Amino acid sequence: MAKIKFNINNKDVQLEVKDSLRLLDVLRDCMGLTGTKEGCGIGECGACTVIVNGDAVCSCLVLAGQLHGANVETIENIEQNEVLSKLQQLFLEHGAIQCGFCTPGMLMSAKALLDANPHPAEAEIKEALEGNLCRCTGYIPILNAVKAAGSE
Amino acid sequence: MHSIIGKKVTRVDGYEKVTGKAVYGDDIKLHGMLYAANRYTDIPAGKIKKIDLSNAEKMDGVEAIVLFKDIPGKKRIGPIRQDHYILVNDEVFYCGDVIAAVAAKTKETAYAAADAIEIEYEPIEGIFDPAEAVKPDARLIHPEFKSNIVVHYPLRKGDVEKGFGESENLIERVYRTGFHEHAYIEPETVTAAPDSTTKGYKIYGSIQNPFTTRRMVAAFMGLNLNQINILGSTLGGSFGGKDDIINCMACRVALLSKITGKPVKLTYTREESIKESYKRHPYILNYKVGFNNDGKLKSMKIEIIADSGAYSSQSFFVTWRSVVQATGPYEIENVETDIRAVYTNNSYTAAFRGFGSPQIIFAKESLMDEIAAICKISPLEIRQINGFKQGSITASGQKLDEHTVSLGEVIEKAIEKSTYNAKLDEYHKKNETGSRYKYGIGLACSYRGCSLGAEGTDTTSVIVSVQADGSVYVLAGLNENGQGMRTTFCQVAAEVLGIPLEKVAFLEPQTATIPDGGPTVASRATLTGGNAVIDGALKIKNAIFNVIKDELQVSGIDETIWENGMISRIQPLPEINPISFEKAVEKSFKAGVNVSAYGWFKAPDVSWHEETGQGNAYFTYVYGCQVAEIKVDTYTGKIEVLKVTAVHDVGKVINRLGIEGQVYGGVAQGIGYAILEDFNIQNGIIKSENLDEYLIPTIKDIHEIEPVLIENSDKYGPFGAKVIGEPTLELASAAINNAMKFATGKYFYQIPLTLERVFLGKNLVKPSRQSEAVRVTHQKKHTPRVTDIAMVTPSSLKKALIMISEDYKIISGGTDIIIELRKRNETKKLLNIFQLKELKKIKKTKDEIIIGSAVPITQILSHKAIKKNFPILVEACSLIGSKQIRNRATLGGNIVNAAPCADSVPPLILYDARITLQSKNGSREIPAKDFIIENYKTQIKPDEILTSFVIPFPKKKFYHSYYQLGRRNAVNITRISIGAMIALDPEKKIEDCRIVSGSLFDRPKNISEIEELLKGQELKEILINEIEQPLKKIIDDAIGKRWSSEYKNPVFINICKDALHDIFMKLKKKK
Ligand code: FES
Ligand code: FES
Repeated sequence: MAKIKFNINNKDVQLEVKDSLRLLDVLRDCMGLTGTKEGCGIGECGACTVIVNGDAVCSCLVLAGQLHGANVETIENIEQNEVLSKLQQLFLEHGAIQCGFCTPGMLMSAKALLDANPHPAEAEIKEALEGNLCRCTGYIPILNAVKAAGSE
Repeated sequence: MHSIIGKKVTRVDGYEKVTGKAVYGDDIKLHGMLYAANRYTDIPAGKIKKIDLSNAEKMDGVEAIVLFKDIPGKKRIGPIRQDHYILVNDEVFYCGDVIAAVAAKTKETAYAAADAIEIEYEPIEGIFDPAEAVKPDARLIHPEFKSNIVVHYPLRKGDVEKGFGESENLIERVYRTGFHEHAYIEPETVTAAPDSTTKGYKIYGSIQNPFTTRRMVAAFMGLNLNQINILGSTLGGSFGGKDDIINCMACRVALLSKITGKPVKLTYTREESIKESYKRHPYILNYKVGFNNDGKLKSMKIEIIADSGAYSSQSFFVTWRSVVQATGPYEIENVETDIRAVYTNNSYTAAFRGFGSPQIIFAKESLMDEIAAICKISPLEIRQINGFKQGSITASGQKLDEHTVSLGEVIEKAIEKSTYNAKLDEYHKKNETGSRYKYGIGLACSYRGCSLGAEGTDTTSVIVSVQADGSVYVLAGLNENGQGMRTTFCQVAAEVLGIPLEKVAFLEPQTATIPDGGPTVASRATLTGGNAVIDGALKIKNAIFNVIKDELQVSGIDETIWENGMISRIQPLPEINPISFEKAVEKSFKAGVNVSAYGWFKAPDVSWHEETGQGNAYFTYVYGCQVAEIKVDTYTGKIEVLKVTAVHDVGKVINRLGIEGQVYGGVAQGIGYAILEDFNIQNGIIKSENLDEYLIPTIKDIHEIEPVLIENSDKYGPFGAKVIGEPTLELASAAINNAMKFATGKYFYQIPLTLERVFLGKNLVKPSRQSEAVRVTHQKKHTPRVTDIAMVTPSSLKKALIMISEDYKIISGGTDIIIELRKRNETKKLLNIFQLKELKKIKKTKDEIIIGSAVPITQILSHKAIKKNFPILVEACSLIGSKQIRNRATLGGNIVNAAPCADSVPPLILYDARITLQSKNGSREIPAKDFIIENYKTQIKPDEILTSFVIPFPKKKFYHSYYQLGRRNAVNITRISIGAMIALDPEKKIEDCRIVSGSLFDRPKNISEIEELLKGQELKEILINEIEQPLKKIIDDAIGKRWSSEYKNPVFINICKDALHDIFMKLKKKK
């Protein structure tokens, strides 16, 4: 068992968890934050992407015990005071969502990019989203949505 | 004019999806819920001798284990033929068969108990080749059905032999297509909960066809339909894939729920999903065709074998569509088609977007181009000569006069929009330059029957219900799979009632509250469901009209306009004011008029004659044409799909955003099917178990897709709309294959067009023996997962060095080791060094850079001095995993595994890096080139930690080149890589030369013989060519016998020469 203290979506939390739990399990099973999804468990699909200390990471490849002191941000934190972020709004407008299962991960990867680089070039967007698989949209509407967000 | 139909409308279920609030199957947590796990078979074919549950039953927290004998109702189920074992009896038929299912208090206990169930088998020699299965003396896979042939559909038109006799040319070709995995990003999940009101069960989960699931569960449980209520959840993609497998899961959890009296959830990992789920049928297609010199097709004989795998499932329907469409949209006098689906011991196959059409389109559209070439006419002309026109007769004898036959129009549009003719010239010219890359352009077209056709009864239901305040509910007996159906239905209801879209809400359907709408398959949701919505909404509109007509002083509904929430007269009268929809509804409620209605749609009649394959197969058809433009790397066989222009006649666009989305998504799947998605199953055992080996396109693999929508309104469609979901996927593989011929001058007869197939004309697979498949490995984790780990996190390097011993495995970024831990069984003790400050620094001195071993790759990539001095290191590291992986993975982690594909190793060798290893007794340095002894083995001792990399700044001016080959453009396992650096002396002779290979030999290393050969010489084209022979000898001697060397050896020579050539060009530019 590990005692971990970290910050999630601007709240400090303290938990006692099994060493074998992944950040993904901590979020979904311990904290009820089910917006983060599991699609492969091996870092290939990006459905589990969250932001840790400003960087997009696969939460299926982070052990809970490695979280101590980290700042974690999940999809649940993007909408503030019932107002969608510009990026979320643009995802809707561009049809960047179909089944929506990749969407939380996709948004977190895009947000991490835009936070660090508000006006990314197309190649930078593709690089930021290369680890997020989407089987529905063919990526083009997603790329367009992020491009639009980057040209604001 | 419509006010809502045809517009770009954002999804009505978009809000919950962008906020993470949408509830998918695995997000459901019910009170007291148990978790289930399957005990899969260990072998693909064999008799079960003994099942020992004793160890599993003893485990704390295990609440139930169910076997075949516990099934209360029907033991076998299936949509058409009941041959599918939900829990097998005494024999297993494929690697995804389930022998037992466990329910336990925690997920981990359920998995552990499933692992602890011991099974003894008597293996049977499996049949994995469908061509073997049809042989008369083949073992019968299910003897009770008397044949391995699941179904045989014949089609006879005219007299093919006579037709061949009359033809000026005759050719025969065989095409093959592979298994195709749906790879929806959400793995399957189902939860069952006892329902005390019906003494039955409520079922939640990722369910594509709720009514089918209900039927299967009721049969399996021996209950009535009204005792099973399917509530579904938001569906994370389906593409036809969440049908049979979901039904199997639902049956198992219902049974576990019965025995325990508690809710039970079963969620799959990706590995389980790939193992158990069905795929698209692989086809072997034999086409014999007779045609005249002018390109006119005279006679076609087609024989197709479809691999149905272990069960029949949807094979009856899938292959039926193939037999209808096998000759494509071409008029041919004489046709003889026979398609047979056969049992094997492979993964079973069933519905997948396209449903029996992508295979035949790949074959016959490739064939059309070959015929055109023989006749010396263009791909366009051959299609113009033979293509369907208004009133044409299909192979099944159907006259196409009930809808607009727009084949010619879609082809013309595709030619125009893709600027096909200009591109032909452009690519011809480009290909003449002798460059490594060749360009190609190709087209393919199709016709497709809409909805179910003569496959089954085609009806659909909806409920439209107006509330007292004028807001509206729509409920459908069809399912939202992500395709945007809800939005479409809400649009249709809003359009008919003349109210804003925001007034319409789509309600989560339950099978208990709405009549069976039939399956959400065959792209039929818009066509059939849209009509049902119109039917329901019109009933309500009429009811409301009757209430207000006197007030508006009109007698017929056609004297009114319903728009923007107002009902007004077409011919306004000054004294009569329009009535708002709300007001009209209020009046209707007061008058006691019912403003809710069932909407129903029954498709027009169709017909089919089983013996002759003649009849009106579908009541309407759609037409499409796609043009693919590609670039092929002739050095490696890698294809880049530059652009696909996708022209589709959709009847009428209802939601432009939705339809364009369908095109993008469908084309992307088609591209994957054509070039990437190589489902590897050998001797019944799946080798591509997860998404690291089954590769679907990433964002870097999809370039331009241009949707072009043509609208020829259909008399049967809602507002004239037809279908779009499936046609988008079915064309790309043929168009790409035709472009391949243009680019390479070679015909290809099989997809996927993998690197090896393009380069060698055949696929290479790692050999595996059947004996390997039957070897039962005890103590294995049936479900990969991270479990039983104990991790310590020392606070300083010093403490870590004291703790480190053989018992510990070091974890840093974790991106490799966590994957490894998922697979391994033994308990692992981990020593976490990720946070150690001592290992997290990048230091620059006068002569060198020192990189701490726990520095994440991303930081290395953005470090100024590293970027400036070590460009190859940066380039190679930028190709490690994905952005997320690089944010976490460390340089130390990348090298300590000594995986042959580790991208950072060749550059470290090139730059003469030294690796520092520390133990509590001190530290030592090893040159990077000596660090790896062989693949997966390094110099590191059990008491040592790799602490840093020391990389000296190059003392000379180096010219460099680096190339990494992966199957796709991102998140690859590196197939092969090369790094080269050259420095010149004042005489412009090569003074220093370094060439390092990755993923080739038993470890990444310098190719010193070649380095020596080049030194002291002037770098010239001739010299580059001179290395070919010695290099070939070196590689052949070292790895010539490997299964992959037939591909890797020549490709490495190509890229090695190209790297030198690249440097040569840089030098030239410099001069
Ligand atoms: S679940 Fe983490 S990357 Fe797929
Ligand atoms: S929207 Fe379905 S996976 Fe992306």
